[in-house]
This record gives sequence, structure tokens and C-alpha cells, in this order.
Amino acid sequence: MTAPSPVVRPRRPGKLRYVALQLAVLAVIAVCLTSLDANWSRLLDAPAAAWTYGTLMVRGVLQNPFAEPHLDYWLTSFELMGQSIAMAWVGTVIAAILSFPLGFLAASNTAPRWIVLPVRQLLNAIRAIPDVILVIVVMVPVFGLGPMSGALALGVGSVGTLGKLASEAIEGIQPGPVEAVRASGARPVQVIRWGVIPQVLPEIVAFWLYRFEVNIRAGAILGVVGAGGIGAYIGRAFDSRDWDRIGIALLVIVVVTMLVDAISGLVRHRIIAGPVARAAQLERVVG
Amino acid sequence: MTAPVAVRPPKPRPALGMWSLLAASVVITIVAGSAIDFDLLPLFSDTTRGWFIVSQFFAPDWSYLGRTVAPLLDTLAIAVVATAFGCVLALGAAMLASRITTRNGAIYRTSKAVLSVLRSLPDVVWGMLFVAFVGVGALAGMLALVAFNVGIIAKLTAETIDAVDPGPLEAADAAGANSVQRARVAVVPQILPNFASYSLYVFELNVRASVVLGFVGAGGIGTQIAVELARFNYDNLSAIIVVLFVVVFAIDQISGVLRRRLAS
Repeated sequence: MTAPSPVVRPRRPGKLRYVALQLAVLAVIAVCLTSLDANWSRLLDAPAAAWTYGTLMVRGVLQNPFAEPHLDYWLTSFELMGQSIAMAWVGTVIAAILSFPLGFLAASNTAPRWIVLPVRQLLNAIRAIPDVILVIVVMVPVFGLGPMSGALALGVGSVGTLGKLASEAIEGIQPGPVEAVRASGARPVQVIRWGVIPQVLPEIVAFWLYRFEVNIRAGAILGVVGAGGIGAYIGRAFDSRDWDRIGIALLVIVVVTMLVDAISGLVRHRIIAGPVARAAQLERVVG
Repeated sequence: MTAPVAVRPPKPRPALGMWSLLAASVVITIVAGSAIDFDLLPLFSDTTRGWFIVSQFFAPDWSYLGRTVAPLLDTLAIAVVATAFGCVLALGAAMLASRITTRNGAIYRTSKAVLSVLRSLPDVVWGMLFVAFVGVGALAGMLALVAFNVGIIAKLTAETIDAVDPGPLEAADAAGANSVQRARVAVVPQILPNFASYSLYVFELNVRASVVLGFVGAGGIGTQIAVELARFNYDNLSAIIVVLFVVVFAIDQISGVLRRRLAS
């Protein structure tokens, strides 16, 4: 009756593996959900509580900021947020200095294999230690409570990630400049200085700035275990359920973090893109 | 002597921007260093008490290991559930925060702003908020991680959506798809590998975050760490840290392998 269609459709790719994977993931989630000893009924109270406390926080923010005690809340929040940012910056500088040589030692095109493997594992190991653990195990016992402990913990803790990112950037370079430098008789150090660093520096500096943004948030966390910054202040405000103070401190964190992120982001894009790319972009805009 | 004289190109002058950036970062470093009383002396001078405590961490009480299993499983369960809820919510949020899938400028800008507020608060602050909202326990930790995860996954996914191949989008439009259908058939298949990779990455973050969340009463292994620290039981604490390190390291490696496979 009907003529067989000459067009043969390709067979659909098998779905079995995909479905099996989905089922496995769902099963894991289901097991976790049932094993979780969470008080689910409290979830129903959450919106009401969030509304109540939210209005309390907003009320605190809207109070006359030039009258005590709110003036003090604002000033202290800004001061401690500044301390958190200082911690994050110093930590990032320490991490940048430590991770820069490690990045070259962990890249297979700039270091021999017997160095690359242990250095990579070292970086992985550092990445697996949460910053908080560094603070309570080493920094607070040796340096005492305060922002210095936090900055060092952020510094050591960021070495793993920064070193890994740097080594990946180094492994992704173009071989041309390296060969040219080597052909003109450069020693290995000179090859790295003139063949490798100019290629990777913009990317690595962008990683540093990105890590600085991450460390601002991490720095706020470390205050909870006594490492200075705004974290400890917020912790005390929560302990006394002082919602005016909490609201003000949260607003300061959100605004300052977003501001620093925006500046850092602009600098990062400028470093990565470079003046040439920006000129090209401008040309496209102008016509 | 007729050979043309090779004219060397002039050496590019170091850009003014670079030098000012370098100077600015040196100044910022000095200001920041003095703001936190930067001082490395305790590393060498305070050899009596500080290093004694540190040395206690190198003598873990292995008999304590058994008691870390239950809270560790709790932590993993919290991390899994939070990642699951977080990535489902984040997929929707990412659709709203990309120009490709949301043509309405107001919705797009509002979603972006909400996401950057979500991201600007650290996980532990979310922990404190949810402990206040729903009380001490695993539920607060889970909700805190969900709020924290949505911000991260949605931002990364929205950027991936911005960069999708426009071909399938045009095909979906030409076939008369509405926004939801268009997102379902033209966007989701393109971003799924990246989205899965971000979810795994956030899962790694969540396992680490559970340590500090415990300090603010949000359940899991962190609570146990806070308790043992308050009692100065450094040998027990040390055992917990070793276990935690092994688990985090293993999860990072497995997740790293999976993410590399997703990327290729």
C-alpha cells in the first residue's frame, strides 16, 4: 500500500546507560534524604521566621545611622569588613608568592616528571585541607586569635588551587616562543623567563585576583573560629539575636563584597583581554 | 654593502597601566599588612606553647575513628541533598539570568542581582541565618548549602548558556517553540555536561563547607569538631581531621576524574 520510504533514519543512540546513571543518582539522593536526621517539619516555619527576622533586619538598617548605637554598628561593621578584605589580600599575596614557583614545578613542560608528580600530589593535598582546619590546628596555637592567623590560613590554603591553575596554564602555552628562545641558546631559567612567563602571566594574575574574590568570602568564615574579621562580629550578633546589628553587618558584607568583586572583575577582564583586544572591541562598537 | 640595513623594531615600552597596577598592589599590600598586624615572628619565637599544641595534633587517637563514621555520613548526606536541591533550583535560576533564555530585560537583570546577593554572603552566614530560622540541626545546614549553591551554579551555568551555539536556538524558534520548549530542546542538551560539572564542583565545596557549618550548629562532622575543640581533646580532633582529609581528598579525585570526562 505505502511505498517504503527511501530515507532511512539513523537509529536513536541507546538510552540505557543514561537512564541507568539517572536512576543511580536518584537512588543515592533518596538514600541520603531518608538517612538525613533533619527535622523536616521545621521547614514549614522557615518562611514565617524569615519574614519576621527579615523585617527586624530591615528595620535595623533603616534606623537613623548617625544615632547611637546604630552609628557604632555601621562603623564597626565597615572597619571589620575592611579587616576581612585586608586578610584576604595578604593571604592572596602569600599564596601568589608561594604558588608561582610551585606552578612551574607542577607543569610537565617545565619540570622533569619525578618532580611534577610529587608536587602535584602536594598541591592536591593542600586543596583537601579546609581553611578552618588550618586555623584551629596551626595558626591559632602559634599566632593566637586574630586576623594574622586568618591571613596565613588563607595564604597556605590557596596555594593548592593557585598552583594547580598556574600549572595548567603553563601546560597550555604555545611551544613556538619556547623553541625560539631555546634556539637562541638560552639556559633553562632564561627559557622560562622569556619563553614561558610572558605567555602565562596575564592568566596567572587573573587567577590571583579571582582567588582574592574567593578569599574575601572565606575570610568572613574564618572569623567564626576566632581569626578576626567580620565573621566573629556577626557570630556574636547572632548569639545575642541582635537583629538590628545582624541586618547592618549583612548589608555591609553584601555591598562591600559586590563592590570589590566588580572592581576585581574589571581588572581581570582588562588583564586577560589586553589593550589590543580592547581596541578591537572599541572599533567594533564605533563601526 | 648594498644589503638593506635590518631595522630593529623598537622595543615596546612597558605599559604605564602595568606599572601603576604593580605600584597599587604594593601599596595595598603594605596597607593591608599593617591593618592585620602582619608579623611572622611567632613562627620562630613562640616555640614553647604553640608548637606544643600543634605537636599534639600529630598523635591521633585512632580508637576514636569509629565514632566519626556516623557524623561523617551525616555530612555526606547533607552535601548530597543540598547539591541535588541546589542544582535543580539553579538550573531554573540560570535560565532566568541569561539573555539567551530570558528576553525580558527586567526579569533578567533582577535575577542577576538576586544571584550576586546570594553569592556575596559566605556559606557560614547562611548557616547562622538558617539556624535562626529553623533551629539547630542538619536541616539548617542543608538549607544554608542550598542557598549558597544556587548562587554559584546559577552564575556559572548562566555564563555557559550565554555562550551556547545559536543554531539549535534558531531551529527551535523556526519550529515555533515557546520559551520553555526552546530551553528544553535547544539549551539544556548543550549545557548539560557543564552543568553536571559545576554540580560536582559544588558538591566538593559542600563537603568542605560542612566543617565550618558545624561550628554554627548546622550539624554533621563540623559539630563534632567544634565539641572536641572546646574540650581540648586534640587527639580525638586529630583523628577526625585525618578521616576528613582522606574523604575530601578521595571525593576531589573522583569528582576531578568525572569532571575531566564531562569536559571532553
